[in-house]
Amino acid sequence: MNGPRARAIAVAATIALALSTTACSDDDPASATPTLEMWTFKRTHVAALQEVATAFKTKTGITVNIQAFTPDDVFTAKIQSAAQTKDLPDVLELHAGGEDMRVGGAGLLADLAGDFAGPGLDRFLTTTRQAGLVTEERKAKTEELKDAKVGTLYSVPFTAGTFGIVYGNREKMQAAGLNPDSPPKTWEQFLSYLQATTKVDAKQGGLSLGLKVSQTGFNWIYEQLAFAYLGEARFQALFAKDGQRFAAPDAVKTLELYSQLTPYWIPGVSALGIDEADVAFAQGKSAFNVGGTFTMAFLAQNGMTPEKMVTFPIPPPAGGKVSDLRLAALALTGLSVTSTTKDKAAAVKWVDFLSSAEGAAIFAKSSLDLPATDLGAQAQALLGPKLAALQQYFTGPKESTYDAANRSFRPPDYDEVPVGTALLKLSPLKEAGAAATGAQLDSVIAAMWVKK
Amino acid sequence: MSTNQRRRQWVTGYAFVAPAVALFLVMGLYTIGYSFTLSFAKWNGFTEHWQWVGLDNYLDLLFSDPRRAPEVHNAAGHTAVTMVAVPLGTVVVALPLAVLLNSIRRLRAVLRSIFFLPYVTTGIAVYYAWRYVLEPDGAINLMLRSLGLGSLSRPQGFLADPATALPTLLVIMIWGSVPIAMLLYLSGLQAIDPQIVEAAQVDGAGAVRTLRHITWPLLVPITAAVVLLGMRDTMQGFQTFLLMTNGGPGGHTDVLGLRTYHLAFFQSLSPTLGLASALGWLILLAALALTVLNARLLRAQR
Repeated sequence: MNGPRARAIAVAATIALALSTTACSDDDPASATPTLEMWTFKRTHVAALQEVATAFKTKTGITVNIQAFTPDDVFTAKIQSAAQTKDLPDVLELHAGGEDMRVGGAGLLADLAGDFAGPGLDRFLTTTRQAGLVTEERKAKTEELKDAKVGTLYSVPFTAGTFGIVYGNREKMQAAGLNPDSPPKTWEQFLSYLQATTKVDAKQGGLSLGLKVSQTGFNWIYEQLAFAYLGEARFQALFAKDGQRFAAPDAVKTLELYSQLTPYWIPGVSALGIDEADVAFAQGKSAFNVGGTFTMAFLAQNGMTPEKMVTFPIPPPAGGKVSDLRLAALALTGLSVTSTTKDKAAAVKWVDFLSSAEGAAIFAKSSLDLPATDLGAQAQALLGPKLAALQQYFTGPKESTYDAANRSFRPPDYDEVPVGTALLKLSPLKEAGAAATGAQLDSVIAAMWVKK
Repeated sequence: MSTNQRRRQWVTGYAFVAPAVALFLVMGLYTIGYSFTLSFAKWNGFTEHWQWVGLDNYLDLLFSDPRRAPEVHNAAGHTAVTMVAVPLGTVVVALPLAVLLNSIRRLRAVLRSIFFLPYVTTGIAVYYAWRYVLEPDGAINLMLRSLGLGSLSRPQGFLADPATALPTLLVIMIWGSVPIAMLLYLSGLQAIDPQIVEAAQVDGAGAVRTLRHITWPLLVPITAAVVLLGMRDTMQGFQTFLLMTNGGPGGHTDVLGLRTYHLAFFQSLSPTLGLASALGWLILLAALALTVLNARLLRAQR
């Protein structure tokens, strides 16, 4: 066989082999199974989601690739650019009750009502079920929903929880002569605990909170405190269009209560981001830290395991309207299927599995984050006693339950940043007194009502 | 040259220029036009249609929205302070440094490299390093306390204290911009004819007088460049503010560039991209006005 002829045969054989390989791969059932892409803005969820995805693949053969984009501004920019280039993933984890409505209102999310509405939502904690639903009230308040149909379901709840959870360092409490197994029952007692821990260690015995994000003080401490002191109706009236708002004497009293924290913040607290404050607590730079139920997962990842901590909600002040404060669980994040997905059935199947008792259990155990799926009796075994114990504060009479998800009494497009900044100037910055802060908050709230 | 040859040269010339022109049209003119158009609309980056609002975005930012306007005014005040302090501080530090470096013979190259370090190291990592240095238990407070100057230390750290947050950022920005200004001044000094300086010295002029009446006037064009670059950087740049304080504490270090960024990306996907664009254009207008004013003032000094 001469050279050119041999080369020609070799080339022909290679082409034939390649073609046959391609033909084989077309018939290969493994390559025919769909692959889904999911984006989240929470890096702490990635490992847990991957674990659920592994179980999902075993059951269905569908692969799910999880990607996290953080911080929030990066995630926002990623969604904006992907929406422009029609390159969105199949499934998104979004902030519930806000972002999902805006993205859904833009036509980027599929309506899941046919797949989950009604009995399909019964698996979730009661207070979270409506989080992704377009209601008349949401339609009236959210500009992007003007063309949306009431009853459309843009997301199903994924994680739940609440703000206003205090984490205490057991070791530091013991060093200050406090009993960690007897957490403070009132605001005044909490202040006395802080006084004790800062007396032992002035620099590393105080309270940490990510006040660089100025609204954390308002959302995670002040609102719960004011709700407990004023009661539900009066608390809601603070945000009303007219009438007695923050400058009223009883509201100023709540601001004075909040400002009692001033001596107990750890040094430099107003320059700490949320994660930095949590890390400071995990590193023993503070005795107490305020966050949400979701904070426990992050603290555990940073070495502060649940057994080293005590947890309790912001305690109500003595003499207030609510003496047994409860914190309603709200949907913190939701799962949405994009309208551009090429395989909606597979994406819905993934969301269904992830929010099922089985999927949520895997997620909860791995992430130490509370799923919105009601885990029932197995909650304690999966979440550990500390996080499961927090669930006792989720239920109670309506008048004693602070519900952060209830936005109905707030101005349209309520902006948390300016109210947070005003409170920051009261404490820890000490740039304004309680009365001046009340007046400033009134002017901020009034401005929100003026501009729609 | 024949007509055909001339045409071929003409085509070749334009063919070489075409990629650059196309790139400018797409990356420059298109984005500028897009941003200008967007400043008259409400949009969150992904809805199908923009909602046209005319001049509302501009008016809201300037005075008519009681929520946005005070924030913009606050940020504008800090931006103005930064725009004056950083270029001024840069000139005040860089010029004497350059004169000193120019006057020595030994170790000039070594010292020049040392002074140039902040420029080559400025970046995200350095900003984080500064944050550690400026913390309540950071190196600066420790140094002040160990030198017996504890009264000057800041118990809350330099970035969490409203009184020191902005001045501290200004110092860091000056620190980052001195090297390039110093290099520019050094090149300017080396271009001055030594005979002029010698003539002044023969006439009895001392070092300060020589600097004031000979060197400074000859360096005015470089000063103009340093000041203009500084003003441009401080008006548009906000990375130092974003990374070190994010506008805090309590809005004490908020600047217009950072406000624009917040309006674009920190509004929970609200339709505020138009507002962000409008603020960007307002910054540009202010920058143009200040640049013209500054150029005229410096020209008058020549």
